[in-house]
Order: sequence, then structure tokens, then C-alpha cells
Amino acid sequence: MGGEGGDDTALVTQTLSGDRDAFGVLVERYAGQARRVARAVLGDPDDADDAAQDGFLSALVKLGQYDARRPFGPWLMRIVANAATDRRRRRSVRRVEPLDAALVGGGPRPDAAAIRNELGDHLRAALAELPERRRTAVVLFDVEGYSHAEIAGILGIPEGTVRSEVFHARRRLRTLLADWKEPMQ
Amino acid sequence: MKESPSFDHRPDPELGAALRAALEPGTDDAAFVRRVMAQYDNALDRSSVATLDVLASWFRPGMVAAAAALVLGFLFGRTILPAAGGTESIDAAMAPIEGPGLAALVTAQDPPDPSVVFTSLVEPY
Repeated sequence: MGGEGGDDTALVTQTLSGDRDAFGVLVERYAGQARRVARAVLGDPDDADDAAQDGFLSALVKLGQYDARRPFGPWLMRIVANAATDRRRRRSVRRVEPLDAALVGGGPRPDAAAIRNELGDHLRAALAELPERRRTAVVLFDVEGYSHAEIAGILGIPEGTVRSEVFHARRRLRTLLADWKEPMQ
Repeated sequence: MKESPSFDHRPDPELGAALRAALEPGTDDAAFVRRVMAQYDNALDRSSVATLDVLASWFRPGMVAAAAALVLGFLFGRTILPAAGGTESIDAAMAPIEGPGLAALVTAQDPPDPSVVFTSLVEPY
């Protein structure tokens, strides 16, 4: 998890006073996390980067509303996840075809690097099959290390629902991962 | 990584690593940071220009609204107040102690001589 506690708060204060570099450090610190969370929602990496960027700029506009007593990471991730969801809604209005048709592996792979990426393709395809909230929850928990309570705050749902979403997502993804590993062994 | 029969409170490192690799963006974070900071700079430029634009765009309507308010106020004074307050002369209005004073000045049918009004303001009785 990217949260650095009081250090984040100091950077927020400096950003609010017009310190460009302080905002740059915050972006640098949370860039990877924001891009992964956005990609969990959107699938497509370019769309995800656009959404992550929207999230950072939206956070900049709302920075005055940030409560410094709370960790910065979950606050930012909520904005990023909302930006990604908004973009996904707009995209689904624009086009009707399935979300991740282009991302699912399928077909012959010409080189070794592509074969190594095949597990990633399968995982992305499996993630795409999960409901948006479920895949975002499991990424926030297992990849980014947020607690159930923090994820509840990010997604705006009860903590018990987060536990349930993570549980169901894991069951699906673990099965896929186990199936993938068996032929290797 | 084994199937847990109940909710697990701890992250699964193996699944987490596999998902992280699957979700890793194609480009490095540094390029993304540069892109966001470029947008930050653009937003600052736009906001400073936009403030001036907003002020400029409101100047003309603001002047028209102020003029309209002035005309309406004048018409209100000409039509409504005389009916309510009578028609005292400007001489009565200028009377310092006796007479209706300011109300008479406002409701008088004949306009006051500016020099008289000015004198009444600057010279105490």
C-alpha cells in the first residue's frame, strides 16, 4: 500500500500552498497503484491511464476537502476508482461490444515473451468476467494491500460486502491460477 | 495458495503478485508522471486565463444590469412614491427643521436645484 502517513499529509499541505514538486511526489508515489486500480476497472491500459490521470487531477481540485486525519491513499484511490467507473460508463455508451474481447489471450503466440504473458492474459480475462466491484475489491486487497475497512471506504460499500466480494473473486482467480500451474508441474 | 473455506483477513501474496504482473501498465510510471504534471501545468495556465475571461465576460452584462437597476429605481421613485407620500414642494423639502425633510425631497414633483442640495449637505445649519 502506498500510504506514507504523515509524509503524505505534509505533501498535501505543500501542494495546497502551490508547491508543484510536492504534487509531483504524490503522483510519483501513487502512480503505479492508481494505474493498476484503474486498469482493474477498465481493462484497457490506455483507458486506465486516462482514468488515473483524471483521478489525480480531480484529487488536486478536491484537495482542500481531504481530511488530514485520515490516510491519503484510500482517499485518492476512491477518486481514481470513481474516475475509472465514470470512464467505463461513458465508454459503454459509446460502444456495445464486450469490454475485454481484445484482451483475452486466445490464438497462437509467436514468441516466448508472449507465452510468458499468457498467464497475465488469462488473469485479465478472468478479472474482466467478474463484476466491477468484485475485481476492484480483490485488486485493492491482494495487490495494493488495503484493509477491508479501507476498501469499504474506497468503494462506498459495507465492510462485510467487501469481504464477500474478495472471497468470491479469489475463489475464481485461484482456480484459474491453480489450473494454470498444474500443467507446469 | 490454497482455497480458504472462510473469509481470509490476510492478502494472498501469490495471487497478489500474479494480479500485479497482469495489471502492470505497458509504460513506465515516470512517463505517466510527466504526463500528469503537464496536465497540472496546463490546468494552472487555463485557470489564470479563465479568471480574466470570466471577469471580462461579466463586465458588460454587469454594466447593463446596473443601468437597468438605476432606471427602474428612478421610475419607481417617479410613480410609486408620489402616490404614497403626497406632493410637497422642493422648498418644503429643503426646510431644515419644520417640514417632511428627506421624504419630501424624494417625492417632490419638481426636481431640486443641485446647488441647493449640495449646499444643504456641506453647510450645517
